[in-house]
This record gives sequence, C-alpha cells and structure tokens, in this order.
Amino acid sequence: MFTLRVDKVIRHNERYSTIFFEKELKSFPGQFVMLNIFDLEEIPLSLSSPQSVTVKAVGETTRYLIKIKPGERVGIKGPIGNPFSPAKGKVLMIAGGIGVAPLAYLYDFLQKCRVKVKVLYAVRSSDDLVLKERFEKARMRIITEDGSEGEKGNIFDLVYSEDVEEYDKIYICGPEVVMRGIHSYFKELGILNKTEFSLDRYMKCGIGICGSCVIGNGMRVCVEGPVFRGDEIVW
Amino acid sequence: MKNKERSEEELLKVEVAGIRMKNPLILASGVLGSYASSLNRISKNAGAVVSKSIGIDEIEGYKNPTIINYPHGIINAIGLSSPGAKRFYEELKRYKGDAPLIVSIVSTSPEGFAEVVKHFPIASAFELNLSCPHVKNFGLSLGSNPKVVREVVKSVKKVTKKPVFVKLSPNVEDIVTIGKSAERAGADGVVAINTLRGMAIDIYMRKPILSNISGGVSGEGIKPIALKCVWDLYEELNIPIIGAGGITTWKDVIEFLLAGASAVQIGSAFYYSHRYFYSIKESLIAYARWKDENLSEIIGKAHQ
Ligand SMILES: Cc1cc2nc3c(=O)[nH]c(=O)nc-3n(C[C@H](O)[C@H](O)[C@H](O)COP(=O)(O)OP(=O)(O)OC[C@H]3O[C@@H](n4cnc5c(N)ncnc54)[C@H](O)[C@@H]3O)c2cc1C
Ligand SMILES: Cc1cc2nc3c(=O)[nH]c(=O)nc-3n(C[C@H](O)[C@H](O)[C@H](O)COP(=O)(O)O)c2cc1C
Ligand code: FES
Repeated sequence: MFTLRVDKVIRHNERYSTIFFEKELKSFPGQFVMLNIFDLEEIPLSLSSPQSVTVKAVGETTRYLIKIKPGERVGIKGPIGNPFSPAKGKVLMIAGGIGVAPLAYLYDFLQKCRVKVKVLYAVRSSDDLVLKERFEKARMRIITEDGSEGEKGNIFDLVYSEDVEEYDKIYICGPEVVMRGIHSYFKELGILNKTEFSLDRYMKCGIGICGSCVIGNGMRVCVEGPVFRGDEIVW
Repeated sequence: MKNKERSEEELLKVEVAGIRMKNPLILASGVLGSYASSLNRISKNAGAVVSKSIGIDEIEGYKNPTIINYPHGIINAIGLSSPGAKRFYEELKRYKGDAPLIVSIVSTSPEGFAEVVKHFPIASAFELNLSCPHVKNFGLSLGSNPKVVREVVKSVKKVTKKPVFVKLSPNVEDIVTIGKSAERAGADGVVAINTLRGMAIDIYMRKPILSNISGGVSGEGIKPIALKCVWDLYEELNIPIIGAGGITTWKDVIEFLLAGASAVQIGSAFYYSHRYFYSIKESLIAYARWKDENLSEIIGKAHQ
C-alpha cells in the first residue's frame, strides 16, 4: 500500500464527486483500487480514468470521500484486477448508475481502437447522470426511472429494445440485480461470449487472499475479475 | 523399486492421523476458505482443505483495512469474521471437493469448542484454532496456557471420533510445551504455525495501517521461524506435525518435510496465483522422481 495526495475534486452534485489524484496510475480500464481513508474504511473503487475515481455517497466512507479536500492523502492498494479487453467494430456499453465509472475510462481507451460506440445509460433520476459528458462522440440512449431526462423506464427497457446481436462486443457494469438480469437475457440469446461484465462483490483484501469476493465457481472478483467474460460467470 | 514404475499418486500421497491425502499440500485456514465454491475449486489439486475458523455465533470482524501486503508477506487482522456455526454448516454442505475437508474451530471455552464441533458432521477432521493472535478471548488467549489447551482438547475428543489437530502459535514462551500438552490430552496432530503478531505504519499519515492497529504476519518472511518450530516439535512429539508459515515454493515444502512435517499448509502464497497447488504439485513430482523416493519417505530426514 502507498498513499496519494488528492489533487482536485469535481463535485458533480450532492451525492457524487470525481476525485483526481496527484499522479496517474499505470492501469487499464476496468481495474480498481482499494482506497483507504485513515480512521474510516478501505473500500474498492473503479478507476474512472488513470488518475481518478468517481464516487457515489452511500455510506460513511463514501460520504466523507465526496467531500474530501485537495491536499488530503488517501491510502491506495492497486491498481487491482483483470481489465476489460479491447474491441474492434461495433461496441455497446451498458451502464447502470455508478457502474458508468469504469466504462468512462474504457471509452477513452477505446478511442485508440477505431470503434463505434453506443452507450445505454440508465439511472434513477437526472441527478445520477454524472459522467455522460465523457462519452462525447458516442451515440447515447439515456433512461431515467422518473423520466426526468431521456426516456422513462428502466435499464431492461433499453436493453430489450436494442438489437444487441449486431454488436461485436458488449460491456456491462451496474448493480448486481441488473447484471444478473442482463446476463440471463444474453444467455438466452447465446451471445455471452462477446460480453464482458464488471462485477461488484463485497471485498476485504482486494488481493486474492481472503475469499470474501468469490462467485459461484470459486473465481475471485478482486483478482480474476472484476471483469469477466459473460460465459465465465457463475453467480 | 525403480521410481519410473511408481505412479504419481504413490510419489505424492501422505497420511496424517489416518487421513489419506493425495499430496502433502493443505489449504491453510482463513485463506479462500469462507465459501464452498472456493474450497471446491482449490480442492482439485490439494491434499486437503481447511475452512475459515468458525465459532458458534456470528463474528463481525474488524473494519477494513484488514489485510495488507508488504514485500515479505502479509499482515492480517480480519478478526475471525464469520457467519456462525449454523449458517456456515449450510454453506459447507455444498462442499463437493476432491480432498478431505478439515473444519477449523474457534471458541472462548473448552465446552464452546465441543459445541461447535457437533455442528459439523461433514468434517473429515477438526483443527482447533488456539493461536489466532489478534482477537481478545479467542485463539492465542487460550492457546498460550498449556492447561487450557489440555482442557480444550479433552472436551473436543469427548464429542468426536474424528482426528483433532491443534494449531499452535509461535508467540508463546515455548511452543513445544504447548504441543506436548495437546499430545497428552489426546490430540491427533499439531499444526505449526499460525501468524506472528506484527504491524505496519504509514509514514506519511503517521498512523498504523490496519484498523485494528496490529495483526498477524504470514508469508515468506516467517518461514525460518516456522521451520524451526516444526523442527523443535518433531524432536519432542510423537504425533504428526503439519507445517505452515511462509511456504511459497516447492523447495519450501521439501524443507518442511525434512524438518519433520507430515504435510504442509499454504495460505499467503495464494496472493501470487490460485494455481499454486497445481504448480507446486508438478514440481514435487519431478523432485520425487529425481530422488527416486516417495515424499512420505523423507519426513524428518534432516534429523538423522
Ligand atoms: C470492484 C468494485 C468497484 C467499485 N467501484 C465503485 C465506483 O467506481 N464508485 C462508487 O461509488 N462505488 C464503487 N463500488 C462500490 C463501493 O465500494 C461501495 O459503495 C463502498 O464500499 C461503500 O462504502 P461506505 O463506507 O461508504 O458505505 P457502507 O455503509 O459501508 O456500505 C454501503 C454499501 O456498500 C457496499 N459495500 C460496503 N463495503 C464494501 C466493500 N468493502 N466492498 C464492496 N462493497 C462494499 C455494501 O453493499 C453496503 O451495503 C465498487 C465496488 C466494487 C466491488
Ligand atoms: C488473511 C488470513 C486469514 C487467516 N485466518 C485464519 C483463521 O481464521 N484461522 C487460523 O487458524 N489461521 C488463519 N490464518 C493463518 C493461516 O492459516 C496460516 O497459519 C498462516 O498464514 C501461515 O501460513 P502462510 O504463511 O502460508 O500464510 C490466516 C492467515 C491469513 C493471511
Ligand atoms: S477481496 Fe479478498 S479475495 Fe477478493
């Protein structure tokens, strides 16, 4: 573990911030860090760029983190985990809520790969659309549960109405219930081998030792994941 | 008999207190041992697996950071976090692995240990954690007193016919005294060693890194200490010894066998790869063929 100084904080709104570190981490999109706020907790956070994490306040540590001041230091373990793999051709990204964070990093990364990206971005309310400007050149469909921006409905309405078979690669990150649903839909369609899911499990160590993050086949989300090909996943 | 005629099975198999194992590699308690899916996966190349230490009631454990890695190993203060015996039994019922399952037990009293043991009829053997260094009233709090160790072993032996191993700590005045008292009380083997007390401080924050301030040190750095414990125990005890502590390469495994271990446990090395048992096993086969010896024949050989 080492520590990094916080360089800059962009406060998107009451519940979200993007926190920039003093330097870039040598990393790939999909990787995460175990970030430690001394005296609070160490938590897993996906990199939203080589130099930042984007945080939603849900509990004690994340509430502190969105208000952190430039100059403060945080503990970092990482970058950790198995990243997204690159793609060619037509790419679909499916983001649910804060699951958008690693996909924003992936989007930047794929700009080198000559791909055509379409983004499906689903949230509760317009307040939750924190990183949409990062996907500047992509075609995007937004859906909110309360209809405050884009279409009204949920993520499945977007996915079911999209011709998913036409894409070469599909990346998904969102709440577990959502990913399970999408996973079983893609399984029915027989397209799991061209999908990559970034999973979210309760983590203690982040280094493959404690076993608190394993999925149904014994694979560890912190090391063999968080990104898995759809057909590798047993929930 | 010429070694080329011996099968891989024969070269690697060992027996500890009546438990037959396809090789001497055992998964150490607390590492990847909280879920059946994880134990199932690791059991494929393991001689046996030990589940995460379990007590009668749920234990929340400490806040993160609970585990840190440093250049010579790992320091952990998980705090024995676990779901309690009933729920863990439901989990372990899904163990369908290819290796005997040893269930590690914690409690605060001799009767308590026996109570937990009764919850796990599926176990092939039990390991009594009398050595966890970072939770008050558990583990080492009992395991540093030879009298208490004796009472715990006796209490457990009354309720099970399965082999009972006692896991020892190096953070005691004399590990052999504790080992002897376990043996006299009827233990079928000892496991040496659990982690050693240690800590780490972040020099920028000027604060301890682990939320619990200190924890247990494991991994490469503790290997010489563990080896010496196994050596000393082998000199004095008649029951089998399972060696643990910092084992990272196949050569480490051989060293422990030569020092007197009948089998070894590996934990922290899974930091490097979950295919650890597979790769070590392959190297052990090569070694045994080269030496023209079954591994079980070299146990304690460095003492002669
Ligand atoms: C690989 C991975 C990447 C993540 N990336 C991001 C991200 O980019 N942005 C973001 O805002 N959040 C991300 N999260 C979720 C984030 O880790 C949790 O929101 C955070 O741990 C909550 O901590 P807290 O103290 O604020 O809340 P708490 O009150 O402690 O917990 C609130 C909820 O967060 C979850 N949680 C708590 N601790 C952990 C933990 N150690 N591991 C996993 N989940 C936990 C639990 O579901 C809990 O119910 C990610 C999680 C994982 C596993
Ligand atoms: C993260 C972690 C958790 C552990 N939890 C337990 C436990 O619950 N019970 C126990 O008896 N030993 C526990 N140990 C100790 C190990 O079983 C083992 O004795 C020790 O780590 C030395 O072996 P190693 O160097 O191969 O890891 C734990 C070790 C680690 C690293
Ligand atoms: S969080 Fe410990 S193994 Fe993944």
